[in-house]
Amino acid sequence: MAWQLVRRLLIFLISAVVASMLIFLVLSGLGNPARTQLGTGATDEAVAELSKEMGLDRPLVVQYWDWATGLLHGDFGVSYVQHIPIGPQISDRLLVTTWLVLGAMIIALLIAVPLGMASALRHGKVSGYLLSGASQIGVAVPAFLAAFILVAIFSVSLGWLPANGYTVPAADPGLFLKQMILPWLSLGLVQGAVLTRYVRSSVLDEMGQDYLRTARSKGLTPGSALVRHGLRNAAIPVLTVIGVQLVTILVGAVVVERIFVIPGIGSYLADSVDRQDLLAVQGIVVTLVVIALFISFLVDLAYTLIDPRLRRR
Amino acid sequence: MTAVQPVPPPTEPAAPAVLGPAPTGSRHRVSPLLYIGGAIVGLIVLVALVSFFWTPFDPLYTDVVNRHAPPGTAGHLLGTDMRGRDIASLLMEGARTTLYVGIVSVGIAALIGTPIGIIAGMTRPGASEFIMRATDILLAFPALLMALLFAAKWGGSVTTAMIAIGIATVPAFIRVIRSGTLQVMSADYVLAARVAGRRGTAIAAHHVLPNVLGLVIVQASVGYAIAILAEAALSYLGLGAGPTTPSWGRMLYEGQSGWPTYPLVSLWPALAIILAVLGFNLLGDGLRDRFDPRLAGRS
Amino acid sequence: MRRTRSKTLIGLVAAAALALAGCSAGSSTSPTTASTPATTASPTSAATTGGSETGGGESTSATSGSETGAEPSSSAPPASDASLAIGFVLEPTSLDFTQADGAAIPQVLLTNIYETLVKQDQDGNIVPGLAESWTVSDDGKTYTFKLRDGVKFTNGADFTAADAVFSIDQVKTKWKPAVKAAMDVVDKAEAVSPTELKVTLKNPSNSWLFKMTTRVGAMFSKTGVADLATKPIGTGPYVFTSWTRGDNIVLTRNEDYWGTKPNVKTVTFRYFQDPTAMNNALLTGGIQVISTVQTPDTLSQFDDTSKYAVVKGDTNGEVMMTMNNTAKPLDDVKVRQAINYALDKKAILDGAWAGYGTVIGSHESPLDPWYVDLADKYPHDVAKAKELLAEAGQSNLTLKLALPPVPYAAAAAPIIISQLKEAGITVEPSNVTFDVWLDQVFDAAKNDYQLTIINHVEPRDIGTVFSGDPTSYYTHYDNPEVTKLLASADAGTAEQQVTDMKKVVNILADDAAAAWLWSFPNLMVSTTAVGGLPVNAVGEAFDLTALTVS
Repeated sequence: MAWQLVRRLLIFLISAVVASMLIFLVLSGLGNPARTQLGTGATDEAVAELSKEMGLDRPLVVQYWDWATGLLHGDFGVSYVQHIPIGPQISDRLLVTTWLVLGAMIIALLIAVPLGMASALRHGKVSGYLLSGASQIGVAVPAFLAAFILVAIFSVSLGWLPANGYTVPAADPGLFLKQMILPWLSLGLVQGAVLTRYVRSSVLDEMGQDYLRTARSKGLTPGSALVRHGLRNAAIPVLTVIGVQLVTILVGAVVVERIFVIPGIGSYLADSVDRQDLLAVQGIVVTLVVIALFISFLVDLAYTLIDPRLRRR
Repeated sequence: MTAVQPVPPPTEPAAPAVLGPAPTGSRHRVSPLLYIGGAIVGLIVLVALVSFFWTPFDPLYTDVVNRHAPPGTAGHLLGTDMRGRDIASLLMEGARTTLYVGIVSVGIAALIGTPIGIIAGMTRPGASEFIMRATDILLAFPALLMALLFAAKWGGSVTTAMIAIGIATVPAFIRVIRSGTLQVMSADYVLAARVAGRRGTAIAAHHVLPNVLGLVIVQASVGYAIAILAEAALSYLGLGAGPTTPSWGRMLYEGQSGWPTYPLVSLWPALAIILAVLGFNLLGDGLRDRFDPRLAGRS
Repeated sequence: MRRTRSKTLIGLVAAAALALAGCSAGSSTSPTTASTPATTASPTSAATTGGSETGGGESTSATSGSETGAEPSSSAPPASDASLAIGFVLEPTSLDFTQADGAAIPQVLLTNIYETLVKQDQDGNIVPGLAESWTVSDDGKTYTFKLRDGVKFTNGADFTAADAVFSIDQVKTKWKPAVKAAMDVVDKAEAVSPTELKVTLKNPSNSWLFKMTTRVGAMFSKTGVADLATKPIGTGPYVFTSWTRGDNIVLTRNEDYWGTKPNVKTVTFRYFQDPTAMNNALLTGGIQVISTVQTPDTLSQFDDTSKYAVVKGDTNGEVMMTMNNTAKPLDDVKVRQAINYALDKKAILDGAWAGYGTVIGSHESPLDPWYVDLADKYPHDVAKAKELLAEAGQSNLTLKLALPPVPYAAAAAPIIISQLKEAGITVEPSNVTFDVWLDQVFDAAKNDYQLTIINHVEPRDIGTVFSGDPTSYYTHYDNPEVTKLLASADAGTAEQQVTDMKKVVNILADDAAAAWLWSFPNLMVSTTAVGGLPVNAVGEAFDLTALTVS
């Protein structure tokens, strides 16, 4: 068991390192970042000077080493475009997006669990098809479309909620909540549709299982059989999916962040791309990728713990 | 938005042994989904093809006098946008961009992912493990993230984005193809062939490939839907199609500021995008139903 | 915005976001009379050092030295506790415009936090700022400024001539952005006394004093430059309070300001990348002013005059389709003229920018003292265009158009392509990122493009953009006569400057050196409670000093 843990930990660490190398290579290794930042109006001396300043005249390996070891200390460097440290911005913005995604996921689950279960239980019937169809359409709607519509109705027409903006929750919880409702809904409704389909299929899988049939033969209705016995098993794949998709969602929230002017990590990334702030892009991407790998590691571990059949490998 | 809407793909979640959910409409018959999805996709392909020969107006022609015209004005079936361009024509040519988007990204993912997946399924455990670990690293890069990374380096454009999304979709293909390959490899007739001494490449070509092709098509369909949504998101961020390339995502992007006063300009492309994604998803689901039963032995 | 070395370039980018001008001629300067511009050009011939009538002020009272607040338009509303949130598009990348280029930085900081010795009024005249008055020597090379007394920086230090010298010297030694070239003409700056500054130029230059109203003329404290990227310290009516990146910058009134204190106590600059978000913010009370309307076709949602007011003024921006004057076949004046005839500029303005702005026929904005109305120089005439093309032997022309990612270019391009097609010219557009644009199009050493669309926002940049020396700028315009006229305009008297510049303007139009489209309007929307918005965007700053909230 311990060997499993160590093995998976090692894989995670090696993967993280390889990923960081890839990211570094793409952004810093190809072409000259100094020239990109200064633009072509720049003279050759200016480029050479900035190159020196950025340490670009050193061998790539050395540069990578510097950067990577800096990361381990939490030092993501100072942006050449903004002239402020990148690390604190990443952590601040990550926190903001976490709030956004957390709320959205709660809404998504509140939608997906009941609807997914209902859809599975009604599988084969008209209502089942309707639910399934609704979720199919929901999946096809881009989140920013949902955002536009929600804002147009609830903010501009009815004036119930603010159209955009973000306040730190500690400063003004009431305003924070008011400002987040529409963003949460925009992301949550669409995610809800996606998750509904996973819940449904997972529940359908479980429903075919023997132990549930046993429960039903004992007199339980399909629904209560499910709830009493199958839910935990059905939940596993769903939670896995959420975990694995988490970083996708974190990044994907960028459009909603732009519309609602929420200073999150996605918009930080998009802004940095716009500004050609390559060092910041490097730092943000490596952070997100390592988080993704870490979650993957945790999920792997969790499976090993939950399912004894998987322990022997 | 989760630009990469993870419409439940057959990719297994991180747990290695689980083959993953196959959220389908129905399990054992050729579902109507296949037909509905196929019809929608077919419609889009048809419109795109027709656009090569005829559109009501030149999509770039600006009927400046008739800007924001309501549907029906001066021959503009669906009206005009803020520059006086015919919306119907834009939609038709936009269909081309939509299809192009899918072809590039899915093509890349399939062409790279399928062979690797087959190899991973056929080769000895050590190499297979190595391939899967490498795949996992790539999997940690969501499509939108990859697209932004590429845009940072090489500038935003439809092509850059699609290559990025294609590369980011490769892991999904590898996993699916690998698991499919494993199943084929465990079938009796394959074991027989191996005992009889057929070489790996022959087995791959004769037995594996035809059997996993179905999976490729399913995954391609799903991947298409993802790519379309991604293009829309990237266009919204200004990293997609340019002002002289008709694209549904771009139409949304340009129309969004007129939203309350002139909703139609963004509504039509929005509906088109939703329809296209829906179509490909339904098609993918329907195809999955069709091909799934062929692979026996799901755990 | 990424840093570049190009002079007007970042300004061009920001122009998209900066301001739009309505065509209400009444609100802009009366452009053509020679008398008004005489004073904007520079303090002129009068070499009397003791005299106080030299110095830009049209409002002569300003030169008397006893004025405290020099805003001609200010009715000095009482300072209140009001606060205001204003929407902008481009967020600064840093607060230090000595190191970072981009119009977004002076937009916030100039005039509000940093002041200059001289500034522009809404009509484009040069009026006193931190300098009460100034005189120019007979040879036009020595400027003597009498500085205001009792002015303090927000770090408590006094503002003296030594700070002025420091600031001017800094431009040459420490500044990075290309605008620093404006100070190259300065030979030396000396503090004769704490309130008297003497600047000697290498040669007479009308444009130098004008440039001193822009960011290069900002006055820094010798002791206050330690942390310019995050702690700007100036003498202005506002103090920097906070910056939440990705969201807003807050300025608070400087209660120790030497001049008339502004009415509004707290101003928040809120940054929106999404124009819909900005519109919605105004509709729902998140902001009270949209400083720059980016989608003028949607202005109709603010039609309710009981709630909103739309401001239409002018800027210094010229949106034009640049033609590479040395790239065949654009080197043939007939081809360039044909292109101009083929374009229906009014239709382009209507279609691309909802008709807001002024159609122009040369490189000038209505704010220029030498503005000549050349809008109808090449009236829309497809037949004439085809005729000229035939004469030039180019009846079936194909040209490449490089489009940078700015809204006005995206808006105008389809219309232009359509119109040129009618005259037999096929245009192949390509979308380029700004990086690539800088590389392929803007790099004067290269010659890699044929057509592009861009907004030149720097005030009075005609001499840079069309210097007449084809190697100096990406337009590659070749005309030694223009070079001569530009030089004599700069070195001469104010009247001569106007006369010579008008000649230049006309020559450029005759030569069809470019296809000028429109002068970018300054379009703003506010709630009716807000007053004192700067109607014309005369300089680089978003001037908060006259704002009122009722």
